[in-house]
Amino acid sequence: MPPSRFPIPQGTLDMLVLQVLSLEAAHGYAIAQRLQQISRAAVRINQGSLYPALHRLEQKRWLKAEWRQSETGREAKFYALTRAGHQQLAREKASWDQLTTAVRLIFNEGA
Amino acid sequence: MTKLLNLFRRRRDRLERDLDRELRYHVERRVEDMIADGLSEPEARRRASLELGGVPQVQEAVRDTWIWRWLDVFVRDVRYALRSLTKSWAFTVGAGAVLALAIGATVAIFSVVNTVLLRPLAYPDADRIASVETLWTNTGRASQAVSGPDFLDWQARNDVFEKMAVYYSGDTGGTDDAPVILEDRATFANPRYVSADFFAVFGQTVSAGRLLTAGDYSVARGAAPAAVVRYQWAVTNFGSAEAAIGKRITVNGSPLEIVGVAAPGFRYPGVTDLWAPLTPDGGPNHRSNHDYHAVGKLKAGADLVRAQAQMRTIGDALARQYPQNRVKTVSLIPLQERLTGNLQPTLWALMGAVGVVWLIGCANIANLLLARAAGRTREIALRAALGAGSGRVMRQLLTENCVLAGVAGLAGLLLAWMLIQVVVAWAPADLPRIDEVRMDPTVALFALGLSLVSTVIFGLVPALHASRLDLSDGLKQSGSKATASKASTRLRSAMVVAEVALSVILLAAAGLLLRSFLTLQHVDLGFTTDRVLVAFTEHPLKDRIRFFADVLDRLRAVPGVHAASGVAYLGMGREPRPPRDYFIQGRPEGQPGERPQAEFHDITGDYFKTLDIPVLAGRDFARTDTPESPRVAIINEALARTAFAGESSVGQRIRENPRAPWMEIVGVVGDTRWQDPSQPAPPVVFRASTQGTGNSLSILARTSVDPTSLASTLRTFLYEANPTVPVKFETMEEMFDSTLAYPRFRTQVIGLFAGVAALLAAVGIFSVLAYLVGQRTRELAVRRALGASAANVVGLIMGPGLRLVAGGLVLGLAGALASARLLSGLLYEITPWDVSAYIGTIAVLGSVALLATLVPAIRAATIAPVIVLQQE
Repeated sequence: MPPSRFPIPQGTLDMLVLQVLSLEAAHGYAIAQRLQQISRAAVRINQGSLYPALHRLEQKRWLKAEWRQSETGREAKFYALTRAGHQQLAREKASWDQLTTAVRLIFNEGA
Repeated sequence: MTKLLNLFRRRRDRLERDLDRELRYHVERRVEDMIADGLSEPEARRRASLELGGVPQVQEAVRDTWIWRWLDVFVRDVRYALRSLTKSWAFTVGAGAVLALAIGATVAIFSVVNTVLLRPLAYPDADRIASVETLWTNTGRASQAVSGPDFLDWQARNDVFEKMAVYYSGDTGGTDDAPVILEDRATFANPRYVSADFFAVFGQTVSAGRLLTAGDYSVARGAAPAAVVRYQWAVTNFGSAEAAIGKRITVNGSPLEIVGVAAPGFRYPGVTDLWAPLTPDGGPNHRSNHDYHAVGKLKAGADLVRAQAQMRTIGDALARQYPQNRVKTVSLIPLQERLTGNLQPTLWALMGAVGVVWLIGCANIANLLLARAAGRTREIALRAALGAGSGRVMRQLLTENCVLAGVAGLAGLLLAWMLIQVVVAWAPADLPRIDEVRMDPTVALFALGLSLVSTVIFGLVPALHASRLDLSDGLKQSGSKATASKASTRLRSAMVVAEVALSVILLAAAGLLLRSFLTLQHVDLGFTTDRVLVAFTEHPLKDRIRFFADVLDRLRAVPGVHAASGVAYLGMGREPRPPRDYFIQGRPEGQPGERPQAEFHDITGDYFKTLDIPVLAGRDFARTDTPESPRVAIINEALARTAFAGESSVGQRIRENPRAPWMEIVGVVGDTRWQDPSQPAPPVVFRASTQGTGNSLSILARTSVDPTSLASTLRTFLYEANPTVPVKFETMEEMFDSTLAYPRFRTQVIGLFAGVAALLAAVGIFSVLAYLVGQRTRELAVRRALGASAANVVGLIMGPGLRLVAGGLVLGLAGALASARLLSGLLYEITPWDVSAYIGTIAVLGSVALLATLVPAIRAATIAPVIVLQQE
C-alpha cells in the first residue's frame, strides 16, 4: 500500500458515510467502493470500521435500512438517509467548513 | 417475564442473522471483484477477510453498537450467577438466610421506631402543636397537670399561640372507661371534656354533623348537652356516622346529645370515644387544683424557643403575683415528644439491639463471601486464562452478588413483614400509634440498598484479587483448594471475633433485662393478685350506697367467695390518682405548693381482707361507719412513716382541704404498689365510701375457686339490682400482667435478637472452621496416615476455633460492661453488673460456640486418609 494514504481522521467517517448516502441509497459494499473512488484512494478507510459505523448511525435513526435486490440480483441491505440524517449532515458540513476556514486563516497568517 | 425474554431472544436472533448476511454479501462481492482482477479464489478470500480485519471481529464491533447489548450480557451473567449459586447451595442458603434475617429485623424494628417516634403526628401542622405544662421550680419537674386560672392567664397574656385548649378526663382521673347508657343498653366509653378551641388546635373537621360551637359552651356547668364522638365508636354503636347524629346518651349519669362525629382516625387524647364541652374553672380558689391538661398550636413562624421564653416570662410574672404560684411557672414541650418521650429508652434499646444484629449479619456475609472467594481462586484464574477481561470477571462476580442480595433482600422484606406482626402483637396495647405501624417503604429501600452495598463490596474483594492474580499460579494450585492468603485469613478471624463480641454484648443485655423482669414479676406488691375477680361497673348517684351494699352482701354469701369489697378507683396499671394536699390537726397549714401530698381512695370494708393487705394497727372500716357517724380514715405505712415518724398515727386527725371535716385515723395498713411495681408506694389516705356521697365502685371478690367462674353470678346480681348498670370483668392477675407490658416487651424483643445474634455468630464460627477443614483436608489426611489420632485432629481444628471464641468473649464482656450503664434506666433492682446475667451469657454463647466448632472438628476427624490421598 502506498504510504501517501493517510488514515481517515476520527469521527469523520460518519460524516463521509452520510454524504455518500445523501445522493442515493446504497449497500455497505457499494458505500465502501464509493468512498474509495471519491477520495481518489487518498484516504485509507478501514473497511472493518464501516459496518459498526453504519449500525451506529442506524441506531441514532439518521439512517434507515431495508433489504432489496442489488445490481447483481442478490438481496443486499440498503441504507438511506432519514430526514434527521439530512439535518445532521448539514450540521456537520457547516461545522467542518467553520473549522477548515479557521485553520486556513491561521495557516495564511503565518505565510 | 419469559415472554419478554422470548421477545428479546427473537429480536437478537434476527439481528444476528441480518448482520451475518450483510457481511457475507460484502465478502462475496469483494471476492468476485478480485477474481475478476485475476486473483485466485482462495487468495481473494484471504484478502477480503484481511481488509475487513476479520469477520468475527467486525461482528463483535457491530454488536457493541446495539444499545441493548448490555442486556444480553446481563442475562447471560444472571444465568451464570444462578448456576454458580445453585451449585454451591449451602453457601447460598447460608448467606441468603443471614442477609434476610439482618434485613428483616432491621426493617421491622426501624418501621416501628419510625412510626412511633419519628413520623410526625397525623394532624395538620403537627409540628406546631405543643403541650403546655406546669413547671415546678422547686423540683425542676414539668407536669402536664395545669390549673384553670393559670391556663386562662397564659392564654390571655401570650401572643405566640394561634389557639389553646384544655381538656379534662372527668371524675375518674385517668384513661378510665366511663359507663355510657345508649338508648337500649349500657356500655363503657372513654369521654373527655374539652374547651372551646380543642378541635381547632388539632385542625380537625367532622365526618358528620358539626363540631362543638360557642353555643354548646354557654349552658350551665355540669349539664353538657352536646357531644362529638369518635368515628369508629359511632360506627360500632350506631352503624354509621350519620346514624349517630341526634342520638341521646347518658355519660357518667349526665345526658348528652351527639351533634357530630369526628374525622376517621382522630382520637386524641389516648383513645377518646367522645368529647363534651368544658369551660375551665377560673375562680381564684382553683389556682392549686391542677385538673387539666393544656395544648396549644403555635402561630405559623413562631419558633418554640421564642414561645418558650415568652411563656416563661408570663409564668414568672404569675409566680410573683399569686402566692399559690410561688413555685411554679410554664414550660412547653412539643406534643410528639410528650407522647413518646417515655418510650424512647425502650425503642432506642431495640434499635441498638437490631443495629448489633445488623452488624453481625454484615460481618457474617463478608466472612462467607471471603471464604467462598478463596475457594474460587482457581475458577477465576481459569476464566481469565480463557480470555475473560478483568472487567468481565468483575462484572460477573458483581452480578452474582447482586442476585444473591436481591433474592435475600426480598426474603428479608417478607420476614420483616412477619416480624412486624409479631412485634405489634407483643407490644403493650397503650403504646402510642402502634396500630399505625406499617412496613416503611423508605426503610425497606434503605435496608435493601445497604445489603446490596455490603454484599457488593465484600463480593468484589475476590475480583480485585483476581485482577492482580498471576494466572499460572492460580492454575497450578491443586483442585479447588487454593490456599487463602494470610491477610484474608486474618480478616476472617477478626470478623469472627467481632461477631462473638457483639453477640456477647446483646446476650448480656438480654440477660440483664430478663433478670430485671423476673425480679419485677416477683416483687412484693403488698397484696396478692391471684384469685381476685374485678368487676368494673358504675351506678348513678341515686341509691348508690344501698345498691353496692346489697350486691356485696349477696356476693359474700356465694360459696367460694372468701371476701368481697368495693373501691372507687382501681389504679392498677393505669394513671395514678392525682395526689392532693393533706392537713393534720394541730400542725401549721404550710405554704400552697409546698404542702405534703397523698392519694385519696374511697373503699368499703373488707377491702384489705380481699386483697390480703395487712392491717398493721387499729381497725378496718365497719358497717357502723355511716354518713351520720364521725368521719374516719385509714392511712398506709408510707404516710404513717412520712407524716407521723415515731409517733402513733391512730387517733390523729387528717383532712384533704381546710374546709373539709376532720377524719380520725382509725387504722394503718401495709403499703401497696399499684400503678407500677417498680415504683415505691406513695402515701395514701383511705376513706370509707359509705360516709361520703357514695362513690360508684368497682367490685373486688377474692375466691377459693377460679375467679372467672363467678363472673356470670355477679352479672346476674348486678342486673337484678339495676338492669341499666354496665359491667365488665377482669382478673387481678391480668391487670398485674398488663403493668409489666413494657418490661416484658423489651425482654422478649431483645431476647429474640440476642438469640439471633448468637445464632449468627455460631454460623460465622462454623463457616470459618468448615472452610479451614476443607483447606486442610489433604494435610489432615497425611497426618492421619502418619498416625495422628482422631482426638489430635479434633484438637487441631477446635484449637483455633475456640481461641477465636475466647477472644470474642473477652472483648464482648468488656464491651457489655462498658455499655451496660446505658441500660440502667431500664433495670429494676438489678445492677448493670449483675453477675448471674454475665455467667448466663458466657454459658449460652460458650455452648453454642462449642457446638459450632465441634461439628467441623468431627468432620475433620472422620476423614478417611486413603480416599483423600487417592483423589489427589
